[in-house]
Amino acid sequence: MIRIKSIYKSFEHKEVLKNISKEFNKGETNLIIGRSGSGKTVLIKSIVGLLEVDGGHIFYDDRDFTSMNQKLRKKLRQEMGMVFQGGALFDSLTVEENVRFPLDMFSSLSPVEKQKQVDFCLDRVNLVDANKLYPSEISGGMQKRVAIARAIVMNPKYLFCDEPNSGLDPETAMVIDGLVHQITVDLQITTIINTHDMNSVMEIGDNILFISEGEMCWEGNRKEILHSDNQKLQEFVFANKQYQRIRDEKIEGGKS
Amino acid sequence: MRILNLTGRYFALLLKVFSRPERHSVYARQTFNEIDNLGVKSVGIVVVISIFMGGITTLQVAYNMSNPLLPVYLIGLGNRDTLILEFSSTIMALIMAGKIGANITSEIGSMKVTEQIDSLEIMGVNSASYLILPKIIAVVFIFPFLYVLSVFFGLIGGLIVGPAVGAVTAPDYLAGIQYLFNPYYVTFSLIKCVVFGFLIASIASFFGYTVEGGAFDVGTASTRAVVNTNILILVWDLILTQLLL
Repeated sequence: MIRIKSIYKSFEHKEVLKNISKEFNKGETNLIIGRSGSGKTVLIKSIVGLLEVDGGHIFYDDRDFTSMNQKLRKKLRQEMGMVFQGGALFDSLTVEENVRFPLDMFSSLSPVEKQKQVDFCLDRVNLVDANKLYPSEISGGMQKRVAIARAIVMNPKYLFCDEPNSGLDPETAMVIDGLVHQITVDLQITTIINTHDMNSVMEIGDNILFISEGEMCWEGNRKEILHSDNQKLQEFVFANKQYQRIRDEKIEGGKS
Repeated sequence: MRILNLTGRYFALLLKVFSRPERHSVYARQTFNEIDNLGVKSVGIVVVISIFMGGITTLQVAYNMSNPLLPVYLIGLGNRDTLILEFSSTIMALIMAGKIGANITSEIGSMKVTEQIDSLEIMGVNSASYLILPKIIAVVFIFPFLYVLSVFFGLIGGLIVGPAVGAVTAPDYLAGIQYLFNPYYVTFSLIKCVVFGFLIASIASFFGYTVEGGAFDVGTASTRAVVNTNILILVWDLILTQLLL
């Protein structure tokens, strides 16, 4: 479980995160949603420590990350996996080498065991026959899957995904969503996903935090989101005509 | 004020670079890759430039020795000392700052803007040390070899061009390059090469590692890296010459 408490973050006098508190549960896909520029990426980067918060605390299973020194943070980070918006695969390494990289760096497994783990993870994300290809030789969807495989190769306790569906077609996006959700449930890890994709929200949103202009506006799950009367959330969710139709149908259904 | 800020950030980054590696075997492999990528792949351009440099220097020394009382073998000597003392170390360093330096800045800068460096940090890897330390070791290690290669091919260039245009005969040229040889000149230049190698790799890495923005900013950082490295090479050339010669 990850718990954030009263997080504040500013950039040159511009307050980007204001007093955000939330618990992200184990075995659930926790979503941070909001418009572009609402502070989602700053929040997730603050949680993993790529950005230093100005105030507040971040707890990883009751371990206070904000008060840890660099050495302890480095150790804790070996329990994290992260899928970046663009995949962030190492261009100079093949798919297989990318996935094996954390093992080469930190594990004491034998080369054969490492290879088994790499094959298992690539198989887990349904990626076959791509081991020897370079990131530039595979599609965006495949790159995201390699990034997921790399993120889970060390059996992390915490998985972070920053806009995992950006730049993907709706079908591939659904595959990626399903994959992340399945991994979260199977491995019982704490997953936090940043997204503004409503399809993802409705498919896998077990625990949702909606932020607007750096402020926490609403929290709930995918069932509650359509019935919320929060004005900002409604404007965000029902900007899409498809969801307006779903809401209208539900209201009609309720009346009859 | 800006220079002080840059200098402070540069030394702060160096502190991060020279910290204990997570896995020595991975760093060693990376260092060998960098020796190949930054050093061995520069041999071609070093050889070509050195041959021309030696040839042109020989011609210019010959052109300036119009006094018939001066022995002709001094043309070879002039070329040798120019190459050993300055051209094969400083001029080659300026050229390598362009080739290797721009390569390093654009590689690390691209990794920065595509979040590959963040990705390393999330894994718990000291990204500065992992990316920069092997490059510094590789360039500091390989640069003296490139220097020796440059001197050799510069002398060959003189041997080809001098007799070919009738400026000096081959025996006179060969006598000249062996005349009054001072081995300390080589030691002095090798020390310069180590310093220049460190400057090239570390400054280029600094500008790449601290880049923010997109592809345009990576290009700007590469230019700034090369300009700053060139200036610092010349400043250190002056300091080392005053101190050691």
